[in-house]
Amino acid sequence: MAAKRATARAAAKTPVPKSKPPKRKQAATPPAASATTPAPKYEPKYNWMNKSKQWGVRVRPGRAGLKLGDLNVGVYGEVPMHWADESRNPRGAVPRRGMPPVGYAVRDKAGLWAESAADLYEEAIARRWIPATDVPWRTIEPLPDDVEHAVCQVCTELVGYANVDIEAITGWQHRMAYGYHEVKQFLATASFDAGRHFEGFRKRALVNGGGLGLEGPGRVNRMILESRGGWTEAVVYLLLLRGVFTMTLYKHLLRHAHNDAERFLYGHALADKARHVTYGVEHLQFAIAHVDDQRRIIATLFAFGDGGLSHDLRDPALREALAIIFGGGVAGARKRGMARYGDFLRDFVTTYLALCRYLDVPRDPARLPAPLKDYAPTPTAA
Amino acid sequence: MSETENGDAETTLDLSWMRQTGPWHTRAAPGKHGLTLADVAIGEYGEAPAQSDNQTGRPRGAAARAGSYRIGGYAVRSKSEIWLDNASFLYEEALQRQWSSATDVPWHTIEPLPDDIEQAECQLATFLTEVEFVAGDVPARWVSLTTPDFLEPRQVLLAQVMDESRHMDVFRKRALAGGGGLMQATGATSGFVGGIDLSRDFTEMSSRLHVSGEGAVLTLFRMGELMAQNEAEKVIYRLCAQDEARHVAFGVMHLRYMAETAPERREEIHCYLDEAEGGLIGAANPVGQLTPTSESMAIILGGGKANFDEGMNKIIAIRRRQLREYKKRVISSGFGERFENGRSGVDRMIAQAA
Repeated sequence: MAAKRATARAAAKTPVPKSKPPKRKQAATPPAASATTPAPKYEPKYNWMNKSKQWGVRVRPGRAGLKLGDLNVGVYGEVPMHWADESRNPRGAVPRRGMPPVGYAVRDKAGLWAESAADLYEEAIARRWIPATDVPWRTIEPLPDDVEHAVCQVCTELVGYANVDIEAITGWQHRMAYGYHEVKQFLATASFDAGRHFEGFRKRALVNGGGLGLEGPGRVNRMILESRGGWTEAVVYLLLLRGVFTMTLYKHLLRHAHNDAERFLYGHALADKARHVTYGVEHLQFAIAHVDDQRRIIATLFAFGDGGLSHDLRDPALREALAIIFGGGVAGARKRGMARYGDFLRDFVTTYLALCRYLDVPRDPARLPAPLKDYAPTPTAA
Repeated sequence: MSETENGDAETTLDLSWMRQTGPWHTRAAPGKHGLTLADVAIGEYGEAPAQSDNQTGRPRGAAARAGSYRIGGYAVRSKSEIWLDNASFLYEEALQRQWSSATDVPWHTIEPLPDDIEQAECQLATFLTEVEFVAGDVPARWVSLTTPDFLEPRQVLLAQVMDESRHMDVFRKRALAGGGGLMQATGATSGFVGGIDLSRDFTEMSSRLHVSGEGAVLTLFRMGELMAQNEAEKVIYRLCAQDEARHVAFGVMHLRYMAETAPERREEIHCYLDEAEGGLIGAANPVGQLTPTSESMAIILGGGKANFDEGMNKIIAIRRRQLREYKKRVISSGFGERFENGRSGVDRMIAQAA
């Protein structure tokens, strides 16, 4: 790690101004205390002292360190169903009266909560990776033109997906009340993950003699970003529909990676995405359990989402690019590649429908729009 | 093996998408620091437009699709509004210097403190938790409003949101790890006009958040060796200072770019700096006024209530250092004339702080 830090410092191409980070071992120099003029006498009020809802808390680190979830003891772990405070009062602190509201849109626990958010936050930090230095870029060798073209097209789509992840998550994150800081903090890791995916797949497209391809059709992108019904609606589209689709895509790309760099990228993006989907599933479970009619609302959203995804899937760019990768070239794509593309879609639809059933929002495979319907498992297989 | 691998069906491919690409034959090469964001900013892929017309969220350099949905009602579409010359470097550094508050802080070194000092530590930690809330929320909002054509600064802001989230949790952890608890919120960061989160313009926000607000906090964190009661706190302040320094550098470099490329906005920026300077002695600055936070800091720096005056003397010295560092940053960002033409009150504040 120390070597990596040194590397980053040496990488400076533009001088950083005076605020350049201090070296780790630098000791603070005590500022010279008023040498010329004696300081005026200040009379402290101490009116803040002894103001605590719960004193004497001593949370100890465990084997995995001091984790965010470990702090949820006593009043500090009480997460109310509605967070009335619109200031930035940390949960468990004594509120200050008379503060103007900041104006949070999401103040109900049912609108964002997932019990595992604190654990997912710590896991995301523990599993962080660095596209610049952790991906073995030098393992990328020239590929046949058609295959390189296909990889670049898929990477272009994946950069587009990551862009929507970034815009959607950051667009909601700041609208969430602080009583639910675990979720806000987990989402900070999720948008950071998405930034890494945005960067990693861009780098893959530009490193091997190709370039970026054609942008995606974007109907699902629009559905995700236009989720005006609340964060829960965004979760349906972003983390369930698109999330499971992307996760399945990473899984199949991992099987057909051409080199260690691609294996690393797909594998790590898959692990990140699995965290996001885990949060999404848990949140929807919580929302369904606590909001009247939420189950049926989510069922309706799934139906809309299926329509949007089906629209995007009719576009040949992603389908054919994947078939070329899975088939080892254009020639192989026509038969073997398209068959494996079918396997990929079948895997996605199967996982997606299984999660819908897990959420107690079962879908009728026969009512899925084409092409999703064509890849739905038969009732016995399901 | 595929379920249908042995089938005879052969699909006719379209392949027209292969003719629609960004610039081709691009071959970015990893250097000795890996493959950095700057390494892939080559040819047209490295050219951020002065004005972005990207309404579909298209990756910079990709081929546009005529039928793609317009999704991006981006508020930040002018390069001068958000650009800085070393964003790629700051982003890569942020990735290299990520840390874990769970495992990188030696929490076991926190031993029981005298009650007045523990209370002061917890009051300061409560305040810093509040402050870091703002510093995470506000950049997140601006990320969502920025076109992906300006991906480099946007990536730095994403890293900042992550950093601030970690700061938020590390100070909460500190408050709950030493036998105390959270204390009273100060409310110093809530919803005031002219506050960081109510800025209507990115540069306005950046001048308040990065240059003034985080600059002041950076000075404080760099005094961590003085404030810390144990190794855990030393590590917390040291690591937080590293992060804050990047955020401040972002603001300074952005202001510098703005000063050079949008001279018509200089007067407007001076107005933001006028307000920011007011904040340097306001309640949001823990060493700015005699607030619960500054009282708690005086107890920490003095070594207990009995040494409050000694602690206050150190606070005043820190305030002077804050003001001097702020002045240097503003000069570095290209707005130094305000200290020569009498517009800025910072020199007076430095004198009054004595």
